Amino acid sequence: MNAIIVLLLAALGIGVGYFLYARNIDRNIVQPNPDKATPAKMYMDGVDFTPASRNVLFGYQFKSVAALAPLTGPVIAVQWGWLPALLWILLGVFFIGWAQDYGAMIMGVRREGETMGALSYKLISPRARTILMIFIYFYLLLIMGAFGNAVGKVLMTNPKVPFGIIAVVLMGMLAGQMTYKYRQDIILTSIVTVVLTFVGIWISTLPFMSNLFSAIYGLPESPKILLGNTQAQVIGTLLMIIFCYLGAVLPIWSFAQPVNYVSFWIVTLGMVGGVIGLLIWHPGMGDFPAVTQFTTASGPLWPMLFVTIACGAISGWHSLVSTSGTARQLEKETDALPVGGGAMFLEGAFAIIAFLTATVAFGGWQGYQDAGGAGAALAVFAGGLAQFLNRIGVPLVFGTAYGSVFLTIMAVTIMQLVVRFMRVASAELIGDSVPVMKNIHVGSIVALLLTLLFVWVIPWLAIWGAFGGANQLMAGLALLLIALWLMSEGRSHNWAFYPAIFMIVTDLAALLYIAYTNLLVKLPAAATGQAALAAALVGIICLVLVVAALVLIWDGWQAIQRTRAVKPAKA
Amino acid sequence: MSEEERNILKRIGQSTVEFIYGMAGHDMTRYALKTRGSMEHLFILITMGDLLGVPILPPYYSLRLLPYVVPQISTWKRRMLREKDLTDALA
Repeated sequence: MNAIIVLLLAALGIGVGYFLYARNIDRNIVQPNPDKATPAKMYMDGVDFTPASRNVLFGYQFKSVAALAPLTGPVIAVQWGWLPALLWILLGVFFIGWAQDYGAMIMGVRREGETMGALSYKLISPRARTILMIFIYFYLLLIMGAFGNAVGKVLMTNPKVPFGIIAVVLMGMLAGQMTYKYRQDIILTSIVTVVLTFVGIWISTLPFMSNLFSAIYGLPESPKILLGNTQAQVIGTLLMIIFCYLGAVLPIWSFAQPVNYVSFWIVTLGMVGGVIGLLIWHPGMGDFPAVTQFTTASGPLWPMLFVTIACGAISGWHSLVSTSGTARQLEKETDALPVGGGAMFLEGAFAIIAFLTATVAFGGWQGYQDAGGAGAALAVFAGGLAQFLNRIGVPLVFGTAYGSVFLTIMAVTIMQLVVRFMRVASAELIGDSVPVMKNIHVGSIVALLLTLLFVWVIPWLAIWGAFGGANQLMAGLALLLIALWLMSEGRSHNWAFYPAIFMIVTDLAALLYIAYTNLLVKLPAAATGQAALAAALVGIICLVLVVAALVLIWDGWQAIQRTRAVKPAKA
Repeated sequence: MSEEERNILKRIGQSTVEFIYGMAGHDMTRYALKTRGSMEHLFILITMGDLLGVPILPPYYSLRLLPYVVPQISTWKRRMLREKDLTDALA
């Protein structure tokens, strides 16, 4: 199939999904009232509640939800063939993804800006909030492990990449100083720092720089020096950890935010350039099979495909952003659909581009396998993007390094914020009994040591599956909460309830499958202590998540029975 | 080009600029505003803690400062008394 046909199909799916299905539910079931005061207006405090325009929030929501997952998941998932992956992206976002993002947002608005914690406390049960917190902590740990694995053990090991990342960091810090300390014009700041970052990425591809990092990494045959990891992987991971540590402990205005700002331009320009190159080139899929086999290295198509492609179809992370962040800034209730639903449909399009980097950029199935296949999904995406950029005149060597820097900064900009959150979480949860955890350096170091353990010990595909399972299960629980809220208001709830059941059943099956393969297959057969530790860690975390989810589902079921017994009048 | 077409183009341009600002800079602006708001609320807590039953400053000084703080008291009380949990810290 030609890339243009895929893009047209995606455009059709998104158009019908947004303008017919989503708008119909918005108008006829939720019935937003543009004249009703939203929490942003009612409770405006200049801190948590502040109204913002619809277009601004659309950009804010999209930037907050689009990270590494929508780009990586489709590249891994095409190992089952292009058809299942494409269908899940299109149908997932059509029936489930937007419903969760929009539903969580409008629920937050109607429930006075309450977050997922408060909503679960009030709509499900008091203990639901505590369980949700435990679930979220493990979920964030899996994000760190999955993203850290991708960055430290794959992307940073390319000697043409690290100096590009260092350039992004340095230019980000310069942008912070220029904006806040020297009060320079933002356009001047943007031009200077973004242009210098591109120069840095170009320098990173020059022989003297890549030779320097090759020497540091011990290439071409980087020796294994720690827990089966090569010297390049150990040093690459440590560079990533230093980045996250600085992002977590330095004032946010001086590091995390300006680095994110410069990164935004690097990522956006790369994506726009890639799409233009793809449209000019519009290659076909060649011999890429529609369906390969039911069971691959990642497991059976059901349930594993549905957790492998996470954010591009649906993601639990979005419900947290929609309630804690965007719902408190909506100026009008009617903005919830274009902001929440619109951003999710756009992210679906983002995933389609990633899907095309794997299926068309290398000429077919053999090209995909030669580029690394599912096991090297990030290298496949970087190489695919480089192929697209090459059609607008960007050299392949620069494009590949640029693609790797692009992916790295998409991951680490999220990771540094997750470390910040984990630091706060550990201080809140155990700070009273272990006072040293209230120290920002100690809290951050503990979070990063856990990350290191996950990155160095657990293989990439194993942790990606567990992360996807946790992420999607979070989405299922959010949909259950939305359905419960709709029931409590006497509104039709099927559009959230059936997707909730599908997601919960699928994701529980995925987590149980991962726990089973790790604890009962890989663990007994483990040849080394490290392999045994990796299997035990993944298996136990999956079981903890399953137990936490089952308790939440049980409490949710009880809450549904209570709500049905009350039979509220239609709001 | 008619006036209506010019207006449509202007609106599209404005929406695009706002969208890019939302992705690139809204977080930074929001964080700066949040920092200022938090500092102001901390100041009010120190000076007007009596209003929440937390006497920190002697009432004489609180009363001298009261006229300057009045416009912000309602939002400050609401924020201080609102129940929070860890998911608040995610955005």
